[in-house]
Amino acid sequence: MSDEQAKITSLRELPQEIAPPRDLWPQLEARLAAEPRRAHRLRDIVSRPLVAAGALIFAVAVGIGIGRLGSPSHTTVMVPGAGVGAMNLTPTAYARDRAALLAALPAQLAALPPESRAKVAASLATIQKSIKDIQAALGREPGNALLQGLLVDSYQDEMRVLTSVQEAAATGREI
Amino acid sequence: MLEARSEQIDWEAALVQRARSGDVRAFERLYREHIGRVYGLCLRLTRDEASAQDCAQEAFINAWRALERFETRSSLATWLHRIAVNVVLAKRRRRSALVELPEEAAELDESEWTLDTPVEVSEIEAAIGELPPGARDVLVLSGIYGYGHAEVARMLGVAEGTCKAQLHRARALLRAKLSLEDAS
Repeated sequence: MSDEQAKITSLRELPQEIAPPRDLWPQLEARLAAEPRRAHRLRDIVSRPLVAAGALIFAVAVGIGIGRLGSPSHTTVMVPGAGVGAMNLTPTAYARDRAALLAALPAQLAALPPESRAKVAASLATIQKSIKDIQAALGREPGNALLQGLLVDSYQDEMRVLTSVQEAAATGREI
Repeated sequence: MLEARSEQIDWEAALVQRARSGDVRAFERLYREHIGRVYGLCLRLTRDEASAQDCAQEAFINAWRALERFETRSSLATWLHRIAVNVVLAKRRRRSALVELPEEAAELDESEWTLDTPVEVSEIEAAIGELPPGARDVLVLSGIYGYGHAEVARMLGVAEGTCKAQLHRARALLRAKLSLEDAS
C-alpha cells in the first residue's frame, strides 16, 4: 500500500520478494507426495539400540533445555527412530555406550590406516560442531521440532561413526 | 551481522541435507524461506499471477527432484532462481526467445543505473511489465535481483554480449516510457 506512494530512483530499491496471493504449499505438498519416494541413504551399520540411544541424548538435552525433564536417571523416553520403533531407554545406557565407544576410540583408530584416521577425525569434528550449533539454536527456539530432529540425526551420525570405527577395528575392514 | 549470515547458511545446508533424505517438512521450511523471491521473479518475468504461481510451484517441484545435485556450498537462492528462470523460459516455448543482438551494441555503464527523477514503485513496475520479454528478463535479473552479466547470461542461455545489449536496450526503453508518462 505504502509502496504505491513510494518513489524510487534505482531498480535495486524494488522489493525482491513478493508474496503469492495464496499459499502454494498445500498443492505443492500433494504433488511431492506423488513423487517417487527418495531413497534413504543411511548406511545400515549401526545396531538398533545404539541408534535409539543416539536419539535419547537428544531428548535429554532438549528436556534439560526446556526444563521439562526431571533427573535423567529417572527418565524414560519414547524414541521414534528410523526403522527402530519406539523404545524405552534410560539416559545412563546411552551415556555408558557412548563413553565406552569413546574410550576405545584411540586404540581403534591407531589400528586404522592414516587416511581412515583422518576421515574419522574430520567426520567427528563436523558432527560435533553441528551438534553444538543445533544446541545453541535450540536454546533460542526450544520448541522447534525440526531442530530437535536435526539434533537426533546428528547424534545418530556420531554413533554411526563410532560404531563403524569399532567394526572396522574388529574386522580389519576399511571404513 | 556476518555471524548471523553464516548461521543462516549452515542452517539452510542442514535443511537441504534433510530434504535430500526425503524430509518434506525440511523442504517446506526451505520453500517458506524462498517462495517470496522465487514468486517475485516469476511474476516479473511472466507478468501474470496465475502463470507465476504455476511457474513457482513447478520450480520447487524441479528443485525437489534435483536436490541431490545441489552443491550446499553455493547459494540456494541463486540455484532456485536458475530453476525458476528455466521453468518460465520453457513455458514460453520460445515464443519470445531472446533476440541475439550484436555484441558491439553492448556499451554499458557498469555503475549502478539510476533514474533522473524519482518514480513511483507501481509506475516503474508497470513500465518494466511493458518491456519486450527478452529485455525485461535481463533487466529484472540484473537490475532488481542484482545478478552479474555472466550469471544472467547463464540463466537465460544466451551470450554475455547479448545480455549486455538487452540490458542497454531495456534501460533505454524504460527511460523513454517513464519520461513519456512524465510528460503526459
